[in-house]
Amino acid sequence: MRRRRPSESVNIIVCVKQIPDPETPAASFKVDEAAKKVIPAQGIAPVVNPFDPQATEAALRLRDAAGEGKVTVISLGPDSARDAIKHALAMGADEGVLLNDPSFEGIDNFQTAVALAKAIQKIGAFDLILMGRSAADWDMGVVPAGVGQLLGVPVVTVAKAIERNGGAVKVDRVLDDGFQTVETPLPAVVSVSNEFGEPRYPQLRQIMLAAKKTVQVWGAADIGMAADELGASGRWLPLDALYVPKVESNVEIIEGETPEEKARNLAQKLRAAKLI
Amino acid sequence: MEFNEAHHMFRKTVRDFVEKEINPHADEWEKAAIFPGHELFKKLGDLGMLGLEYEPQYSGGGVDHSYTMIFAEELGRADVGGIPMAITVQTDMATPALAKWGSHELKMEYLAPACRGEKICGIAVTEPDAGSDVAGLKTTARRDGDDYIINGRKIFITNSIQADFLVVLARTSDEGGYKGMSLIVVPTDRPGFQVIRKLDKMGNHCSDTGELAFDDVRVPVTNRIGPEGRGFQLQMQQFQKERMIAVYTAVGAMTRAIERTVAYLKQRQAFGQPLINNQYIQYTLAELVTEIEALRYLGHACCEQIVRGEDVTRLATMAKLKAGRMGRRVADQCLQFHGGVGYMDDMWTSRYFRDSRLASIGGGADEVMLRILTGMEGFQA
Ligand SMILES: Cc1cc2nc3c(=O)[nH]c(=O)nc-3n(C[C@H](O)[C@H](O)[C@H](O)COP(=O)(O)OP(=O)(O)OC[C@H]3O[C@@H](n4cnc5c(N)ncnc54)[C@H](O)[C@@H]3O)c2cc1C
Repeated sequence: MRRRRPSESVNIIVCVKQIPDPETPAASFKVDEAAKKVIPAQGIAPVVNPFDPQATEAALRLRDAAGEGKVTVISLGPDSARDAIKHALAMGADEGVLLNDPSFEGIDNFQTAVALAKAIQKIGAFDLILMGRSAADWDMGVVPAGVGQLLGVPVVTVAKAIERNGGAVKVDRVLDDGFQTVETPLPAVVSVSNEFGEPRYPQLRQIMLAAKKTVQVWGAADIGMAADELGASGRWLPLDALYVPKVESNVEIIEGETPEEKARNLAQKLRAAKLI
Repeated sequence: MEFNEAHHMFRKTVRDFVEKEINPHADEWEKAAIFPGHELFKKLGDLGMLGLEYEPQYSGGGVDHSYTMIFAEELGRADVGGIPMAITVQTDMATPALAKWGSHELKMEYLAPACRGEKICGIAVTEPDAGSDVAGLKTTARRDGDDYIINGRKIFITNSIQADFLVVLARTSDEGGYKGMSLIVVPTDRPGFQVIRKLDKMGNHCSDTGELAFDDVRVPVTNRIGPEGRGFQLQMQQFQKERMIAVYTAVGAMTRAIERTVAYLKQRQAFGQPLINNQYIQYTLAELVTEIEALRYLGHACCEQIVRGEDVTRLATMAKLKAGRMGRRVADQCLQFHGGVGYMDDMWTSRYFRDSRLASIGGGADEVMLRILTGMEGFQA
């Protein structure tokens, strides 16, 4: 892998994913248990993973702060994933690559990381790879770490702020109970969290430009992936079963003459259930 | 009408903007009976949305009318009618004549900042004694050297409380009737201009509507749009855009109203089943969506005529008439199917009922549309 000499210009790769709309009403969310697949909800278009425009936003701000550079967007997915790339282009990204191949059907997050890493190697020089903190469909959040591992570069997760400092970046990370600031040399992978702030809306001018741009499409062979690495059979994490859990709820009315008595009875019940 | 990828991306962007920048504030702005115009318009201006069809040298977008149609349809989906109205008054009711007939200097001074969202504007035609009959207006612009001195009253003027400038239709000669009127740009900071009152309305509460006085307001003659004495004709052309916007926003609003009503009827139970399972309700909805689609495609036909540079008056008049009438029916039926909750003040149904009522009055009442059509169709012996 070629490492870039630190310069003002910055080369950023953003990985974006198209997912089923997380706002899909529960009643419309269905899985095919036999095929172990999510059945796309009728009439509800897929959307860009909500964290990914934030990664794009981070890339654009870093590029614009540097004054020059390039933001390349990659998405692995079906034909419709072009829309996720086009959205990033309309926000202001420079180029887009769609990884699209029938053998990508049913692959897991680890295979995805392999494909993305190979595509990134094919693109060549980069300073920074940005991704959303996780994809809101499977919510695993492992792809950033996988890509970093495969490319042999540091990984910093759940960023709320990223500042470039020559050949390094300073990243504020979100923790459960506060923030942590770390610095890493470039190149590196950083995953971006919603705390980063609102991504920009595409401007009319950028939309018109993005509509004219061609998105390159690379198949498995283009990125040098072998047949045994692909398909559901090549999963690192075999999927045993996929089902929508049944939610059951029981209601019990706590009786009592006075509010105090009701509270006492409730507390006793909770203690008996070992909840307090 | 064929839509391409740019159209789809643009539609999605406007929809996101409405959902994130307008809807969350709808209740607050309605209650306050005003909205932060300069703030909201600046956001839209930064995205290039306030002058879609105007030339890029005046900060316009340089795209065709199909984008205006999408813009207005999506704005129509907002939770509140007053905001789409305020925005489109600026983009397509007050500025088309300025963009087409204004001098370069006038466009640099007024059109460009309007496109950037730095200035708010309105169109001042209606007067206390002249609404439907525009030829009856009395406001005068008397020439005095290199200035016009404007005197008169205007009423029901949208955006006028916040406006930085108004495009005023006034008499520049005493020929009377359709003759001798001119469109003139009047900055609202001129001495003699006064908002007499901010009007309370039945709906569209967040949109500011004013009654205005012009007492010896002096503006340079160079603020006139197009040739002197042609104001009535320019305003009649400008009205075509205004009417199309009324159609597109109504289509957007009706579509969303039906979507929301269907969602409600699917979960609301009565007589042991969801309300939507009643055939009467199903057929009523089927009838309404049919008519909404018919109006949408009439709108597309108008849009295509405008893109081709053809005269759209006949179809635009029909579409505007239908939009006003349909909006009233859809709003009424959606409210009805919601029952008591639909009548509550904080429900979208009652706001939509109030807001949509305007479309049969503003931009030319239904009866004025019928009058125009009667003339065009030659329904007279
Ligand atoms: C909320 C709101 C915002 C507005 N914003 C603006 C603005 O920004 N700029 C502006 O200039 N104006 C604006 N208007 C004014 C609007 O354009 C006029 O109200 C409209 O044109 C009708 O004029 P009018 O109110 O004087 O009614 P009139 O002319 O008095 O007509 C009253 C009614 O008589 C009937 N009628 C009229 N003519 C005929 C006919 N020939 N045959 C049969 N029936 C007829 C119609 O039913 C009509 O509604 C606004 C109005 C409202 C309510």
